[in-house]
Amino acid sequence: MKRHTLLQYAIRSLFRRTATQRYPAERTPTPERLRGTLHWNPDGCTGCCLCSKECPANAIEIITIDKAAKQFVARYHADRCIYCGQCVINCRFGCLTMSSEEWENAALQKQAFTVYYGDVPNVERVLEGFVTQDSASNSPA
Amino acid sequence: MDTTVPQRFVVPIGPQHPALKEPGHFEFTVDGEQVTGASVRLGYAHRGIEKATEGRNWVQNLYLLERICGICSHVHATAYCLGVEKLAGVTAPPRAQAIRLLVAELERIHSHLLWLGVAAHEAGFDTLFMYSWRDRETVMDILEALTGNRVNYSANLLGGVKFDLTPELTDQIYAGLELLEERTHQYVDVVTSDATLLQRTRGVGVTTREQAEELGLVGPTARASGVERDIRAEAPYAAYSDFPVKVVTATAGDLEARFVVRLQELFEAYRLIRAVLEKLPPGDLQARMPRKIKPAETISRVEAPRGELFYFIKSNGTDQPERIKVRTPTLCNLASVCVLAIGSQLADVPMILAGVDPCFSCNDRMVTVYSGDTDHTQWTWKQLRQYGIDYYRR
Repeated sequence: MKRHTLLQYAIRSLFRRTATQRYPAERTPTPERLRGTLHWNPDGCTGCCLCSKECPANAIEIITIDKAAKQFVARYHADRCIYCGQCVINCRFGCLTMSSEEWENAALQKQAFTVYYGDVPNVERVLEGFVTQDSASNSPA
Repeated sequence: MDTTVPQRFVVPIGPQHPALKEPGHFEFTVDGEQVTGASVRLGYAHRGIEKATEGRNWVQNLYLLERICGICSHVHATAYCLGVEKLAGVTAPPRAQAIRLLVAELERIHSHLLWLGVAAHEAGFDTLFMYSWRDRETVMDILEALTGNRVNYSANLLGGVKFDLTPELTDQIYAGLELLEERTHQYVDVVTSDATLLQRTRGVGVTTREQAEELGLVGPTARASGVERDIRAEAPYAAYSDFPVKVVTATAGDLEARFVVRLQELFEAYRLIRAVLEKLPPGDLQARMPRKIKPAETISRVEAPRGELFYFIKSNGTDQPERIKVRTPTLCNLASVCVLAIGSQLADVPMILAGVDPCFSCNDRMVTVYSGDTDHTQWTWKQLRQYGIDYYRR
């Protein structure tokens, strides 16, 4: 860019769209593969815990309600999660997915980062304390 | 005060923001404006990652080691994966190797464009800084669309990669490369013809070929002095044996040569990415990896955007490593700053420092030197307690 080229470029830039975006008023759609909040679907989970064993951030806990009936609850710590997607790869039953829409995860309260997934009665039992941390099949180190 | 005796005047730079927004401490002894002595102190960003790897399993370590560097995260993961795969006797499928190469070259583009901006900013040429960082967004968007993240792509898995290419992604990469190629031609034009920038780069921080060999420089810093040193060509890993690299060198060894070498490497990266997209091998993305690895040790070398990245990995038969040692290219190149600064103007020091493309945070690791029986680096609890008592008794 010799001086005249630079000048030409500067003048042309005046009539161009700005490179920056007026977020949040203006939003570009997120890419399909963006790794956002993790979601767990209880159907099909066998409680193998491969997701939690290899999680680099100890962000997933699978709490066993009834092993024989395959009743589990997942406690997901969004604040610990590093969004690497290893758990999604590890799950052979397709129970885990990462949302490409939910990525604005700021919250004022820390409680918002502990998310429970599972059938409603099971989650209620965990929240009420009937299933304690000790009986959780995988507690974080 | 005796004014006839020349005084030693030391200019401390850092640890806050020594040219770059990373911590490192430099002391330059100056005579007027001329630097007569230089020393460097590192270790401000020591994070204990090597020790932390010993308490995590092989898969967890992949993501930990990927976070050693925010700019060249993929090469760290690749070096680790290649090493662990070697230990386990597993070879990733050809398609996975090609995708590793693809992401590595995209990362090289983003790293070199980032450096171009930082170096231009150090030279006071903020226009170039803004243009190059604006164009860098193109490659960041490609990386985000391909892997789902702008940094820490997590594209690697032990035994393969996570992400495959789709026709839409291929089109996006081709379109992005076309734009970047046109822009890179302009950048080459700027750094070789802009009079103001040339005053800051031409003939500044000249490293001769002999000096580069002697100081053990790596990466574009060494190649700008005419040393043909590139792991991608010397010891091809991933798919580099199928897609050979033409090593870009220059002979001048000054800062201008480093600009030119890095920019020419961008063209080489564009060529490689196009070659990979055209001849992407079919097949699986991942080979099966065992959870536990028998006791063995290995080394793994890859070419990061800044130079040779070295991993030593030792397994002990469990699902956790016994020891992992990382040496990043910045450590090899930093010594040259202390040598080159001597004799140059103090005002050129930030440019000389930025010229090696340092990354202090990836660099800081502890080395314990054992010197026989009198080892003062390790204390037992009893010794430490006694030291505390003696210290406060005084």
